[in-house]
Amino acid sequence: MPSASLLAQSILSGILIGGLYTLLGLGLSLSWRFLQVINLAHFAFVFLAAYLSYQLIGVAGLNPGLALLILLPIFFLIGIALQYLLIRFSVNEFASLLVTFGILVLLETLIQWIWSADFRRLETSYGTASIKIGAIYVPIVECLMFFVAVIVAVVTWAWLKFTYVGKALRASAENPIIAGAYGVNHKRLAYLIAGISGATAAIAGVFIALISTLAPAQVVVWLGVVFAAVILGGLGNPLGLLVASLVIGVSEAITMAVTAPTWAPLVSFTLLIAILILRPHKV
Amino acid sequence: MLEVRALDVSYGDAPALWGISMTVGAGELVAVVGPNGAGKTTLINSIARILPSRGGSIWLDGVEVTALPSQAMCELGVALIPEGRRLFVGMTVEENLEMGCYRPAARLHRVQGMERVYEIFPILKERRRQIAGTLSGGQQQMLAVGRALMARPKLLLVDEPSLGLSPLITQQLFEVLKKIHADGMSMLLIEQNVAIALDIAERVYVVEGGRIVSTGKPKDLLATRHIREAYLGEDVEAGSR
Amino acid sequence: MKDKRGFLAAGLIVVALIAFPAFKPPAFLESFLYLVFFWIALTSSWQILSGYTGYFSFGHGAFFGIGMYTTANLATKGEMDFLLTLPIAGIIAAVVGVLIGAVVFRVKQLRGELFALLTLAVTFVLATIALNTSIDGGPGVFLSGIKIANIYGSPATSLYLFALLTAVASLALAWWVQHSRFGGGLFAIADDEDVAEVLGVPTYRFKLIALGLSSFIAGVGGGIQAVYVSYVTVPETFSITVPLFVVLMSLIGGSRHWLGAAIGAAFITTLNYVFVGGEWALAGRALIGLILIVAILYLPDGLMGLLESRRRKRQSRARAQDTEHVAAGIDRATEHRPAAPAPKPAGASQVLLRCEDVQLSFRGVRALAGISLEVRKGEILGIVGPNGSGKSTLINTISGFYRPDAGRILFRDRDLAKEEAHKIAALGVGRTYQIPRPFVRLSVLENVALPAMYGPFGLQRAAAEAQARTALEHVGLAGRADALPTELNLHQRKFLEIARALASGSELVLLDEVLAGLTPTEIASAVSMVRSIRDRGATIIFIEHNMRAVLALTERLIVLDHGEVIAEGEPRDVMRRPAVITAYLGKAHA
Repeated sequence: MPSASLLAQSILSGILIGGLYTLLGLGLSLSWRFLQVINLAHFAFVFLAAYLSYQLIGVAGLNPGLALLILLPIFFLIGIALQYLLIRFSVNEFASLLVTFGILVLLETLIQWIWSADFRRLETSYGTASIKIGAIYVPIVECLMFFVAVIVAVVTWAWLKFTYVGKALRASAENPIIAGAYGVNHKRLAYLIAGISGATAAIAGVFIALISTLAPAQVVVWLGVVFAAVILGGLGNPLGLLVASLVIGVSEAITMAVTAPTWAPLVSFTLLIAILILRPHKV
Repeated sequence: MLEVRALDVSYGDAPALWGISMTVGAGELVAVVGPNGAGKTTLINSIARILPSRGGSIWLDGVEVTALPSQAMCELGVALIPEGRRLFVGMTVEENLEMGCYRPAARLHRVQGMERVYEIFPILKERRRQIAGTLSGGQQQMLAVGRALMARPKLLLVDEPSLGLSPLITQQLFEVLKKIHADGMSMLLIEQNVAIALDIAERVYVVEGGRIVSTGKPKDLLATRHIREAYLGEDVEAGSR
Repeated sequence: MKDKRGFLAAGLIVVALIAFPAFKPPAFLESFLYLVFFWIALTSSWQILSGYTGYFSFGHGAFFGIGMYTTANLATKGEMDFLLTLPIAGIIAAVVGVLIGAVVFRVKQLRGELFALLTLAVTFVLATIALNTSIDGGPGVFLSGIKIANIYGSPATSLYLFALLTAVASLALAWWVQHSRFGGGLFAIADDEDVAEVLGVPTYRFKLIALGLSSFIAGVGGGIQAVYVSYVTVPETFSITVPLFVVLMSLIGGSRHWLGAAIGAAFITTLNYVFVGGEWALAGRALIGLILIVAILYLPDGLMGLLESRRRKRQSRARAQDTEHVAAGIDRATEHRPAAPAPKPAGASQVLLRCEDVQLSFRGVRALAGISLEVRKGEILGIVGPNGSGKSTLINTISGFYRPDAGRILFRDRDLAKEEAHKIAALGVGRTYQIPRPFVRLSVLENVALPAMYGPFGLQRAAAEAQARTALEHVGLAGRADALPTELNLHQRKFLEIARALASGSELVLLDEVLAGLTPTEIASAVSMVRSIRDRGATIIFIEHNMRAVLALTERLIVLDHGEVIAEGEPRDVMRRPAVITAYLGKAHA
């Protein structure tokens, strides 16, 4: 059994990594629920954004906030472009999984071609800074990431819950024909949500560039665990995603601390299997 | 107000329509009756423009709307109460009503609209935070009517509201529809239950096999052979003997 | 003739490939061919489940991995003979597969992308277990020093031959399944699982068998591959690469045709081999991504799918010309079985089906409020009632799609309320759908042959197709036997439903609004068709809104309203009863 402080440190890092899972999963969850697109390419978008941040912050010396401001509209447009392609060929839900995987492979090779297969690490003065509270180290950038994740999740949730556009999206996902008969322009909303999903990739990408080492092979590292969080949280449910991400992050961290780090994947995938078998209709 | 000229529809597995011509005057309540599979729902969906037509035209207040999408029909003041209600079952009662007034012009009157719906159907006010899918069949049909009213329509398209409801609930529902009509709403009602339809309609079209086979005032129609034939299979000669 | 030549050619190719190493080819060529065989085995085994039934599995890597680790462990720590480990690898993979399937296939909504995700998750769970237990433990397993029989004097050649044999066995199995009665059921599952079950396909069992076969071959393939790579690690084995390559190869070749696997695997392996290692590795990877995208957007059925549909269209055109003159052959149907004696007058005959107080509610709404009725052998029983009165629900309940909350449905001493839908179909209860539900990717002929294979006749494929042709001639669709259902218009699709009921040889046929949407002339021919089904000895429950047809056809009529029987008797008499007129026209007009 690990010491109390080690356990506390683990739980904290689990919570913080849960924030990362939320940022990674949000775009996936939204496009799956509202566009019937299972967008594997989202993970490649995230890494493309991360490498671009590396370039903007590390090489061009930009402020991370400014880098994010540049990347947000770019990835908003990338999301729309992908949606255009999928609509143009009227790709169904299952085929979208395969098409976007093809795009993921393409982008991964593009990244490798530009930045090589070597590890890249953004060296900043604040990247690894942390403050010590009691016996626990609190990494500052990761904390910031966590708060951004919470804010983005809550704002998206409120947007879907309380605004006309959000309600129209939910209505349209349930019954596009009748929603259309009441004036909902499904196509325009679809592009909007595709753009927003793309933009979340930019946010996740900037933080990954700041806290993590980049390599093209990393693209699929979080794929499984993020899928688990998205399904566990309920498709199109940002708050559910946040909670599921935290649960998975913390249980992974505890599993790592109590047993070995290599046991960690068991938690999320067993949860994913259980949820699929027990309540597939809720997905 | 609504005029359908020689409408032809053939679409997938929906029953086809041939040369349907009909009108609904301002403030009028017109019913379309006929046995199942005659093409009634196809007709109303085609008027709402959620089903494309192959020939003929549809006119609203003297303007041709045949080429418009369903969103535009909503803008022009046509609201559909679809067969089987088709509520947004995962959303709350209130959210369903709000979807009714999604178009900007109707949105301005959201509060008054909701008050009116709650006045007509007090039970919906009680249940306004409940998920629509968990309502009873009768309450769901009320919600479907309420959702359509929120759109502040000039013309209400009502498709088979009695479906799956008990006779008592059906009767209550039709009382409400009657009242809405009395307040000046034009209505096109599709109903398989002839008795009820003939009871409240001012004019009736009988559809059988994708064609209009008879039309007239309810009183004159009921005695006619077309209705008895279509529903009961009576042939006139045998009946008159 | 054509088949024989095909077998001969396939046999010659196999013999040539077996003899090939005797000519001492360069090592790179042999290892390249080994890879082709390996991927053919994996891909075609994947197709038996995923291609044929549409249950796309991303978990093929799991079964392949189980095979790899079984052989790796047994051959090193267990010091077992390599050849012996292969069947064990296959069996363990198959057992794990069937155990997973036994749980997963019971969950109805677990299809499409959810099934794919689930199988992928299973792969990662197995990977984690292998990594943290003595199966691997972390460092990987070296297979150096494994003794392998030296055929042609080299262990590499032995592996080449094992892989060849596995690939051939896998392709042969895929070929057999595709052309068997079993395969017909799998293809039906892919298009509409519910209808397949109602027509008599034991869907649950078939999916399990397909998964078992599929994972067995993957396990054997993994066992061979373990020795070929000679160093087995968890990240390499249980990666996402294996299932994705398999899916990619299958999609390009055509996942619904046995040869598709061979074509796709050969193509992608070649591509990979050409690019890999050189400075073009990156370009090769990008190309594979691009091919995947293009294949799905432009070639959704793969190369074989494209060829098949071309061939089918040609045949369909040719046949349509041939048979135009017999197309309207309603009256000249050839009888497959002896015509039954003319029906005895109603009332005197024995009871074929008896419903006793059948009840069913959905979410508190009573759809069937205690239905009791009898169907007598040889009669046409009409059931009518207003919309929503429970007619279709009753059919769905008798045919086993719904299970009643209470009551019994007795048919030939069996209580259908307790039987599974496919069992009910096999006992001799057939049905049609109000809105036709053909299997959209099967030809008209295959659609009609299916119930002949799985209904009470239980015919083999060839006999079933003969039976189907007879049924198609009967309904006037013989000229469209090779067409796809989507090429038919509504009334032809309705007649296709009738042909299915005819070909099944069901003793009791439930006709659900077969006339709705038809024109008067079409109705007339449909009515005579219904009569001819009865004249062949079947008993019919005829649900319909068209009252003229009901009165013309039925000898006895039951009226339903709000899930209850409100009248029963001679049709014209029944329709004059006040209760019935009230149900239709309201009280005032009774």
